[in-house]
Amino acid sequence: MNMQTGMKLSVAETALCEAYDHAIGELPGDGSVLAARDTLISDFKEAGLPTRRVEAWHYTDLKALLRAVPAFDPAASAAKTSPLVEGSTVLSVVNGLADARATVEGVTVRTFKDALADGTAAEGLAARDGDDAIGRINGSFVRDGFVLDVAAGTELEAPLEIQTVQNAGQTHTRFPVAFGAGAKGTIIERHTAVGETAAFVTSISDIALGDGADITWVILQTQGAADTHLGQIRITLGADAQLRLYVINAGGKLVRQEIHVVVAGEGTDLKLRGINLLGGETHNDVTFTVGHDVPNTTSTEVIRNVIFDRARGVFQGQIRVAPDAQKTDAKMSCNTLLLSDEADFSAKPELEIFADDVQCGHGATVIDIDHVQLFYLMARGIPENKARAMLVNAFVAEIVEELEDEPLVEALEGVIAAWLEKHA
Amino acid sequence: MPAVQETIDQVRQIDVDQYKYGFETTIEMEKAPKGLSEEIIRFISAKKNEPDWMLEWRLEAYRRWLTLEEPTWARVDYPKIDFNDLYYYAAPKNQSGPKSIDEVDPELLKMYEKLGIPLREQEILAGVQTSKIAVDAVFDSVSVVTTFKEELKKAGVIFMSISEAIREHPELVKKYLGTVVPTTDNYYATLNSAVFTDGSFVFVPKGVRCPMELSTYFRINEKNTGQFERTLIIAEDGAYVSYLEGCTAPQRDENQLHAAVVELVALDEAEIKYSTVQNWYPGDKEGKGGIYNFVTKRGDCRGKNSKISWTQVETGSAITWKYPSCILRGDGSRGEFYSIAVSNGYQQIDSGTKMIHLGKNTSSRIVSKGISAGFSNNTYRGQVSAHRKAENARNFTQCDSLLIGDKCGAHTVPYIEAKNATAHFEHEATTSKISEDQLFYCLQRGIPTEAAIALIVNGFVKEVIQELPMEFAVEAQKLIGISLEGSVG
Repeated sequence: MNMQTGMKLSVAETALCEAYDHAIGELPGDGSVLAARDTLISDFKEAGLPTRRVEAWHYTDLKALLRAVPAFDPAASAAKTSPLVEGSTVLSVVNGLADARATVEGVTVRTFKDALADGTAAEGLAARDGDDAIGRINGSFVRDGFVLDVAAGTELEAPLEIQTVQNAGQTHTRFPVAFGAGAKGTIIERHTAVGETAAFVTSISDIALGDGADITWVILQTQGAADTHLGQIRITLGADAQLRLYVINAGGKLVRQEIHVVVAGEGTDLKLRGINLLGGETHNDVTFTVGHDVPNTTSTEVIRNVIFDRARGVFQGQIRVAPDAQKTDAKMSCNTLLLSDEADFSAKPELEIFADDVQCGHGATVIDIDHVQLFYLMARGIPENKARAMLVNAFVAEIVEELEDEPLVEALEGVIAAWLEKHA
Repeated sequence: MPAVQETIDQVRQIDVDQYKYGFETTIEMEKAPKGLSEEIIRFISAKKNEPDWMLEWRLEAYRRWLTLEEPTWARVDYPKIDFNDLYYYAAPKNQSGPKSIDEVDPELLKMYEKLGIPLREQEILAGVQTSKIAVDAVFDSVSVVTTFKEELKKAGVIFMSISEAIREHPELVKKYLGTVVPTTDNYYATLNSAVFTDGSFVFVPKGVRCPMELSTYFRINEKNTGQFERTLIIAEDGAYVSYLEGCTAPQRDENQLHAAVVELVALDEAEIKYSTVQNWYPGDKEGKGGIYNFVTKRGDCRGKNSKISWTQVETGSAITWKYPSCILRGDGSRGEFYSIAVSNGYQQIDSGTKMIHLGKNTSSRIVSKGISAGFSNNTYRGQVSAHRKAENARNFTQCDSLLIGDKCGAHTVPYIEAKNATAHFEHEATTSKISEDQLFYCLQRGIPTEAAIALIVNGFVKEVIQELPMEFAVEAQKLIGISLEGSVG
């Protein structure tokens, strides 16, 4: 297939185009699904991977950063892993294959593969907009995942963990999850990897909260040091819905997590909390957009970044308030501890306001560890490296503590402590 | 809480249909033919008796410009500009450089009088309260008069139109022109380099504190003309200068282009304070007409411990596209940006600043206040970056927006880039109406509602107003229609 004339193909672009030609015969779905895939791949061929010139990718030049894409690797083996929080129900995707055997009361579970095969997944495959590289790649290649339907009024007793475990190769998963009115529960979406070989993972979660639903959704990405993770979370909030969304990145070499929220019902409350632990050569980009389209809604976003070594951190956050969305209260803050002179951090926190009776704000800080605090601890006999680790830990731990769910808080603190042990 | 009546009234006073400077002056003009070509550039250069190197410089910029594309990244929307449908040179006839104010065309003097700009030195002296201000008046393409030249000369300060400077001080112009905003910088700056017709030149030598405020008044009068002025200000080691500019234009149905370039150079321990009150014609109620204000302003803190401060009050122009910036190159240098941008009618503002930290121990401060009303859109776009070697770079940014009415928009797009661990950046932005908490606090202390509201609104813009030189602060306050006297006490 020919790319747009005049555009030079990168190695990764070529690999993706070729992979499509090889894989299309065996990818699930035909008819409308196939048509949707063809549109996506041809749009991808037209636009290529985004560069800095695409505003939504201003600080993540995917064309330059994505050097290679590993081929599908059927030989690599992996196994599902024990859940983050004991007692959780686990739905796993291992090397791209979903295992839907688990049952939870009130939750209908299907594999996404089945939804592709019977064509019901076709509609959701479209890209969000012209800059949606993740949507295009994922939609072209997606093979499996889960379709979850949580019945109205269901209260999940234990967390439901959706995990992907990847060993080398590439995987593209999708998780459309619909919560009925008044549903309550905690979902943990976990992306892990085994082995040292580079893996390429894209994943899209398409989450709809019905009226009055009250959900905690935790994304924990701990892939390998050579891996690429391109994630996207699309969220629609119904009236009076409450969502606590935690996005924690503590792995990967090239990571982009996109979070796109549409506030469609009045009285909703969104709490986004992000923790990004970056070390080595990691490039980690969290891009968030929220559209307050109706009156009387609130959202708060708190992002904490800790950056060591030669890592690069990016945060782009955009709060949009539609003309009639009066009484919107939206606040966003992004705080970064930049701990190495070779590391860097870039932020673009945007406000786009069209209603006059609103309270919107954002704050961003970039600092080093407070030397007064460090001195205080060292004066009490705590060695410097330990004192530093304590301060860094305190910087991110307070976000986790907001989750008033003790086993979950402990598990996440464990992940953070283990990471800091290795990197600090 | 909705915007209070007083704020609405105040903004209404400067609504687009209240534009006071929309009159046109009938004066005989000499114009170059319409359009843009090498011939036109040669014509402009010849008109100005420029040396060959200057012409070459212009032609090189023009050739470069032909290869560039118009930028589209700003949040502004306008029909494509036909650059060949403009006059690039328009000058009052009989203007062969007046020796004194008496030789200036009386029509011109009348116009400046109408604008409230004192060109006669004695008039300024008569005003006991005000300090002296030296004025350079630029009318369409040329500088018509510069006052207090002699007195400034005694202090060693050079203040003249840039055309004169090219002829009289070529060594200085050659040394600094284009070193802050290179001819290759961006579409409009490159166009300006090719066709600039006049502007001001200021040189403050080593150790001199400029004895008075310097000021330039820009006036676009002629139809279909573009105004392309170029300002170059140099403060040598330990020098200080405060410079003000004001801008107005007649009311017309077609849009007019204004693409200026301002370059500031501050050497060791020097300080430049640059203030703007921009009141170009903003277009009418339906958004017809008005000035396209596409300006490149940049200051280079080249020396150690140098300081450049930008203060702007923006109320005019149909479209504003400007980002007065500071390159903090010298160790210990400081950059400041204070801005009030009021948009009304169908005005579009995309403005902000860049603070580029390159040297060690550099600091910058940004305070931006946007007020949007009517159908306007007001965007703050700014960049703060600290490079690898910019140890201990410090920045504080605050950008607040106030919305009046539900048909307008306020946007904030900051870019924050830190490339070393010692950088310390703080950024805050808010969009709101007047806070009920603040109001309650005032009321509780016995301040009546009206006074409390005035107090808060004034507080909203005060940080910026107080950065303006006294004379301009008064003008700016009038312009924004916020009277400090009425509110305090």
